Amino acid sequence: MPRSSTADAPTPSVHDERPSAGLLRGYRPPAGVFDEAVDDMGGVRPHYRPLIAALAAMDEPERERRFSSAAQYLREAGVYYRVYGGPERGGEDVRAWPLAQPPLIIAQQEWTELAAGLAQRALLLERLIADLYGERRLLTDGVLPPALLGRNPEFLRPLANQAASGSPLIRFIAVDLGRGPDGRWWVLGDRAQAPSGAGFALENRVATARAFPELIRDLKVQRLARFFQKFRETLNALDDGRGARVGVLSPGPHNETYFEHAYLARYLGFLLLEGGDLAVHGSSVVVRTVDGAKPIRVLWRRLDADFADPLELHPRSRIGTPGLARAVRDGAVEMVNALGSGILETRALLAFQPALAQALLGEELRLPTVATWWCGQEAERDYVKTHLERLSIARAFPQTVEDEEHRRPLDLGMRRTPSERLLDDLANDPGNVVAQELVGLSTAPMFSEGRLEPRPVTLRVYLARHADGWSVMPGGFARVSSSTDPLAVTMQSGGRSVDVWVTSDRPERPVSLLGTAQGFARRLPSAPPARAADNLFWLGRYVERAEAATRLVRLHAARLAEGERRGPLEAEVAELLAGIGVEVALGDPAEGLLRRVRAAFETASRIRDRFSPDGWRVLGDLVDLMERRLAQDEPEDLPGLASEVLIRLSGFTGLVRENMYQFTGWRFLQAGRLLERGQLTARIAAALTRDEPPEGALEALLEFADSRITYRRRYSVTLSRETVVDLTVLDPLNPRSIAFQVNGFKTLLDELPGMRRGETPADVVRRAARLQVRLATGDLTEVNELFLQRVATDLGDISDLLAQQFFSAAPGVQTERSESE
Amino acid sequence: MIYDLSLNIAYDYPAAVKEARHVLRVRPRELEGQSVRSTRVTVTPQPDEAWRELDFFGNALDQLLILPGHDAFSVAMQARVEVRRALPDLEATPTVAELAAAAATARDCGPAGPMHFLGDSRMARKSEAVTAYARDLIDPASPAGEAVLAFACSMKADFQFAPGATTVDTPLEEAFARREGVCQDFAHVMIAALRGVGVPAAYVSGFLRTSPPPGRPRLQGADAMHAWVDVWLGPDLGWRGFDPTNGVTVLDDHVVVAVGRDYSDVAPIDGVVLTAGSQKTSHSVDVIPVGELASEA
Repeated sequence: MPRSSTADAPTPSVHDERPSAGLLRGYRPPAGVFDEAVDDMGGVRPHYRPLIAALAAMDEPERERRFSSAAQYLREAGVYYRVYGGPERGGEDVRAWPLAQPPLIIAQQEWTELAAGLAQRALLLERLIADLYGERRLLTDGVLPPALLGRNPEFLRPLANQAASGSPLIRFIAVDLGRGPDGRWWVLGDRAQAPSGAGFALENRVATARAFPELIRDLKVQRLARFFQKFRETLNALDDGRGARVGVLSPGPHNETYFEHAYLARYLGFLLLEGGDLAVHGSSVVVRTVDGAKPIRVLWRRLDADFADPLELHPRSRIGTPGLARAVRDGAVEMVNALGSGILETRALLAFQPALAQALLGEELRLPTVATWWCGQEAERDYVKTHLERLSIARAFPQTVEDEEHRRPLDLGMRRTPSERLLDDLANDPGNVVAQELVGLSTAPMFSEGRLEPRPVTLRVYLARHADGWSVMPGGFARVSSSTDPLAVTMQSGGRSVDVWVTSDRPERPVSLLGTAQGFARRLPSAPPARAADNLFWLGRYVERAEAATRLVRLHAARLAEGERRGPLEAEVAELLAGIGVEVALGDPAEGLLRRVRAAFETASRIRDRFSPDGWRVLGDLVDLMERRLAQDEPEDLPGLASEVLIRLSGFTGLVRENMYQFTGWRFLQAGRLLERGQLTARIAAALTRDEPPEGALEALLEFADSRITYRRRYSVTLSRETVVDLTVLDPLNPRSIAFQVNGFKTLLDELPGMRRGETPADVVRRAARLQVRLATGDLTEVNELFLQRVATDLGDISDLLAQQFFSAAPGVQTERSESE
Repeated sequence: MIYDLSLNIAYDYPAAVKEARHVLRVRPRELEGQSVRSTRVTVTPQPDEAWRELDFFGNALDQLLILPGHDAFSVAMQARVEVRRALPDLEATPTVAELAAAAATARDCGPAGPMHFLGDSRMARKSEAVTAYARDLIDPASPAGEAVLAFACSMKADFQFAPGATTVDTPLEEAFARREGVCQDFAHVMIAALRGVGVPAAYVSGFLRTSPPPGRPRLQGADAMHAWVDVWLGPDLGWRGFDPTNGVTVLDDHVVVAVGRDYSDVAPIDGVVLTAGSQKTSHSVDVIPVGELASEA
């Protein structure tokens, strides 16, 4: 890409009498770059005029109102991304999604041309990878130098001949584009491993549509849904009927873009899976569900290939599926994109574009590529060495885990910055280095402190391969730099993103992914993966545990506040709290509560596709609330904080009860809550109803079980041990009694997969039934400390048996290697 | 020379493991100068699924799945192999500089193509220190075969063979800095060194005949699997073996099992088991020269 035009004269700033003039006053793109909205003479480009006019017609409060409705949507939908290395929340920082306004607009005519160039490029890439994993004629014919394949870490030898099946190895790719000073779009790079951002592009659109509903309509902005609809149909069609559903294979919740994986899975109706959810049995790939192993045929892969199989690929991967590479070789599973498609992201390939196009397409490329020199060739290396000041240097090959791990300070005792290493390599291992022309990106208007400013922009566009060829998503994911410096724009270094509008002459027919009612049949959701069920069960337990801990903390704090001395009851409560991880005697109880709430939030974060964003957000808000409180200097009002926590937790359980589809997943969550509540109540009742219970123990038990009012209504005002025990342990109508939990649990259990009546009951069913009978026939005189402790132990065993029955496939994987001498 | 080989690898797990998956690379290869008369692999417990296939480099893989819980796992391999390698003429090789130039442009994409053995691989990565060591010892103008043998001999002299000093995961920079290790470390250092000067080098795992000390019976099971380096000596001579642990060229004392870019391509056993905690392994090897016994009798 040309670095800049030769004209050094600054672009005139916009001066005009129309209302838009105020908005653009002082809008001055840097000299020698292309601006998306404003031409060289300072006039607004035609396709931007309706937007600028509409924005100018709004006063600032209205604009703010519109922007914040977009931001509010993103907050409510829980759109976030992760930044590695941040201190919060376990070493990673979760950030709200940085959407900026206004959108980037591309006129239809220009888009049509761009889309044709992109489709041609996708075909080039498809043929390129087919050759690299097939005949490799590009190498034997000398079109590509040997090193591009031989030393490429993304050339996966276990799958070296996978193109033989003839089926396309890539079906969903992205191309990064930048516009040069000449007004042309240039290819900056290709993304074929697991291109991210398409889900964020969708969310950007939904949010921006909240801000500008009438503009989207008036400009006839092309919709994104049709593209995804077709992609979904394509993937569904790849399944020959043997698999249950298409799966999205994710690296899991610690990945930067996990939100997007969960979002796209939900949006497209795919199953969100992690490597541990899959197993290779015989010649098929199966999902480990709570209802046994279910075959799966199509995986949309969002996990880097090297991590996909610890047996044949990266041996230290903890997030892969052993045997997956062999399953791919056997044709048991269709990977979209193929394992090894990351080879297309090799920067050095950009140095061979015209020759590749000639060899693979027999024609010239419509879209130019950023000028790239691979330093493995002598002439190129010499050019680069003498022109370093006007080039940027980068790694020629995709980076691997080892690239980071193994460059240790041990090597000559020096630690070097990435750019120093690149210069070292340029001298010592030049084949590892490419140089690229410095990119003078175009600018687009972005609101900053109420004013439009020109900011450098890059555009990522997505393409999908259907039976009849490649189609382009009409829109994309645009990143704008947070500064005016036209250097690299990345989200990780504080960039922001904007929606991309491709305008059209014709109004769009609305498309929805919901489908039509034709041939409607109500379908039950398929059984959840064992891992998801396991997390739901523990989410139920953790939420309940947080609630119990909060009640106990409140009880403890209230008694101290009333001037009670630290008596035996306080000691008892403190011990109970210590048993569930909250220190009141030595530590700050609020910190213990925060830990409990965090455990629930983190568990919920692992299964975001399984319940509503609202539920997840309630837990996130709760963590924020507590963190804020703890950060304050003055000692917190514990009973007050406890009450706020309880209200929010009941908000969560209310959402779950009212909004969650009451099928298998929900049952596991409820089962977790019931077991935890039953077990904690049994433990607490055991401690508080000893032969000689401490002063105030019966009131405390009633308080803990939230049963004071019920008690008053049903019994006299004076407390007796018998009546309190009856109400909190045996009474099947009190929703806080142990019997109620056990009855509820048993009912759920009978509805779980594989628990059909008439078959030999599983151990967990037997134990639960026995406990149920014991409580139903329990006699007040036998309900003593020992009885209650046994109930608590039984409930613990039942939880273990449930886990064994349904979750045992969720693995703690270990790899082994033999040593040689 | 004809050898009867036997390899026994056993794992003891502290608690029963289930759904164990393993890849074995223990069957000797059929090669020029090495012919395999028979091979038998026995696995305990009996696998629920087993596949045999060849990997990219032509090594024989046994892929195994054992579903039920088990607290021990063992592999026994027995083979009879005849080894008769021709003595290479190391003087009649291109110079190191010529060889490096030929290697960089060699277009053979097949498993023996030099292109696969020039760049960094998972466990054999070039390092400035190792490359500097190689540059010191290797004269670009000398015949490559002689230079490589001299390099292997220098390594034997400079490095301490020290079982237990390193583990299977020790980075080669560390073994290099300490100038000690086992055969795996020797091989990785030599590979990184040769690649650093543009000479294609491969990792070989296999068996080594150990001569018994005079007057004493051979110690059964005293050895483990061995590792050395295959070096590409140009289009005419092709790949030749060099053993940096012993400072020799590979002739009839070595039996090749698997060839790859580094240890991670040829590990005799890779496994993934569902378990917690560590495990104990034992590993024993016998290499009994049948031909020698026959000729002595």
